[in-house]
Amino acid sequence: MDDLFAPSDVSWTPVSPKLAAVRRLTAGISAGLVGIVLLIVLGMTVGWLYGVLALVVAAAGFVWAWVLIGRNQRSWKYAEREDELLVSHGIMFRELVVVPYGRMQFVDVAAGPLERAYGIATVELHTATPATDAKIPGLHPDEAGRLRDRLSALGQAQAWGL
Amino acid sequence: MTEPTPGPPGQQTAAVRPPVTEQTGARLHPLTPFVKGWGYFVVAAFALVNNEGLRSNLTIAGIGLAAVLVGGILLGALSWWFTKWQLTDDAIRVDSGFLFRRTRIIRFDRIQAIDVAQPFVARLFGMAELRMDVAGGGKSDGKLSYFTYEEAGRLRTTLLVRAKGQQVVEQQTDQVEMKPLLVVPTGRLLGATLLSSTVLASAGGLVWLIAAATVLNFHIGLFAGLPLLLGVVQPIWKQVVGNHGFTLSESDHGLRTKRGLFDVQRQTVPPGRVQGLLITEPLIWRLLGWSRVELDIAGVAGNKDEGENDHEGAQLLPVGERVEVAGVLARVLPGFDLSRIEMHRAPERAKWLRPIGWRYLAYGADDQVLVTVRGWVSRRTSIVLHHKTQSVRLQQGPLQRRLGLANVHVDTPLGPTDAVALHRNQSEAAALLQDQAVRAREARRTVASPFAVQTQPKPPSPDGSSSSAASPADDSSDR
Repeated sequence: MDDLFAPSDVSWTPVSPKLAAVRRLTAGISAGLVGIVLLIVLGMTVGWLYGVLALVVAAAGFVWAWVLIGRNQRSWKYAEREDELLVSHGIMFRELVVVPYGRMQFVDVAAGPLERAYGIATVELHTATPATDAKIPGLHPDEAGRLRDRLSALGQAQAWGL
Repeated sequence: MTEPTPGPPGQQTAAVRPPVTEQTGARLHPLTPFVKGWGYFVVAAFALVNNEGLRSNLTIAGIGLAAVLVGGILLGALSWWFTKWQLTDDAIRVDSGFLFRRTRIIRFDRIQAIDVAQPFVARLFGMAELRMDVAGGGKSDGKLSYFTYEEAGRLRTTLLVRAKGQQVVEQQTDQVEMKPLLVVPTGRLLGATLLSSTVLASAGGLVWLIAAATVLNFHIGLFAGLPLLLGVVQPIWKQVVGNHGFTLSESDHGLRTKRGLFDVQRQTVPPGRVQGLLITEPLIWRLLGWSRVELDIAGVAGNKDEGENDHEGAQLLPVGERVEVAGVLARVLPGFDLSRIEMHRAPERAKWLRPIGWRYLAYGADDQVLVTVRGWVSRRTSIVLHHKTQSVRLQQGPLQRRLGLANVHVDTPLGPTDAVALHRNQSEAAALLQDQAVRAREARRTVASPFAVQTQPKPPSPDGSSSSAASPADDSSDR
């Protein structure tokens, strides 16, 4: 079942667990903000009981997100084949992308402030179509740099016009 | 950007950088400002003739009007005077503007398609504008207007020869060898538009509205009639006027289309720039054996910033019969026959996700293309070339997983084509994904060596050795 989205003829590299940490932190911040705003608004207008209830719901949502984020993080993996980059991700909605290196137009390496604090980065491979969704989050900056260099070198070497 | 080297003899490039104001190159047609600003002139002339106030107070109004006219002419003339174009070794360069100078350099190998367009007024004067489609650029980015019609045609030939990478002197083959492959009759165009889904739906809505208004005295509803009326009239206008006399012909530089009643649009599809094809068959058209063929060409489709042009630019056949469609496909993809490709239907359990449409889901592939079919009301057949594949994706949602189904997307650059094999058996889909990756790799390798194409055991293209046969090999100009 699982090997549908992760063919075994290549070696898959998982992404860093720090990705889950960053996402959990983001989820925690937003859940906390929503919970506190709801607590105050509902508490002032309807009653503090409802406010506390909203806070509990937000907390439950956060716990659920915690679990989902963990599973999602474990689902991200990528592999470099001789001619193609393979990226596989998703638990509910699963996707496996195969991009030939020669199709690459450019590579992005991005890292937000939170990601930088945790020491991870995102590499995204762009082709001539926006439909291609070859994005690998949660890479160690060194690995991201290595991947970027390798991808652009391979993209140059195998470049193929439109 | 390197300084362009001198191009054809007789044109010198500004080899020294400092005097930026100094430009060489040819000017456009002297009537250009008039054709561009004809509306302004008409309004001015109209005002001169019709205005009562002007007649009574001739001196002041006359001077004012003259000043406006002279100013307008002067501005137009200035802009014309400062717009110059020239061909360099590898690009066309356009300098324009007298206050804010602008230099645009369009490299030949980035030109995806070239049209000669004749807006109505320009046609009256026998003038035409050149439209170069550049990958990633909007439609107006590559506009050069106006030339005389002959000059535009000549320039297009020159540019096409260079865009194809052959600096050969083939220029003498002008438009003489144009043999129309097919002409779409206006009657069929009108019939096809009347029977298309949008028009039918809008007309149905309109009839219902009128009935409701008369029978039930429900007059408020008439306000909704306006957009519905627009929905009926607008496509008819667009199709019948815009595609009037649609002619497809073949030249040395690729397939050429010509269409339009008032604004004659010409477009050339350089072989090897075709990324994919889309054949659309709305419900009623299917009974009549009609279909529409659109192309993905990098740079032409996907001009979302100019909505009206968005898919039109890539039209290959607005409405055609089956024989014509097959003929057109064979021109674009030599040795390709849609009916020969074995199609695989989706498994029956896909009906839980597509109660009616599952019967029409299918895909098929050979060593050149992947074909996917879907759609119940309007059937869409997408054809994508393996060596143009940008990426392949395998997708599965939660419901699909319960049914053991998966989608396979084959992505091509922006355009009408969207090849997706929907709701396949999941192991079959995974195999298809791998196969597609392998096929794309093989196709890229085969096409990489230009002569390998000829050695493939394929039937020779019906038109011999001209443009379309060279199609896949042509790609190498675009690295």
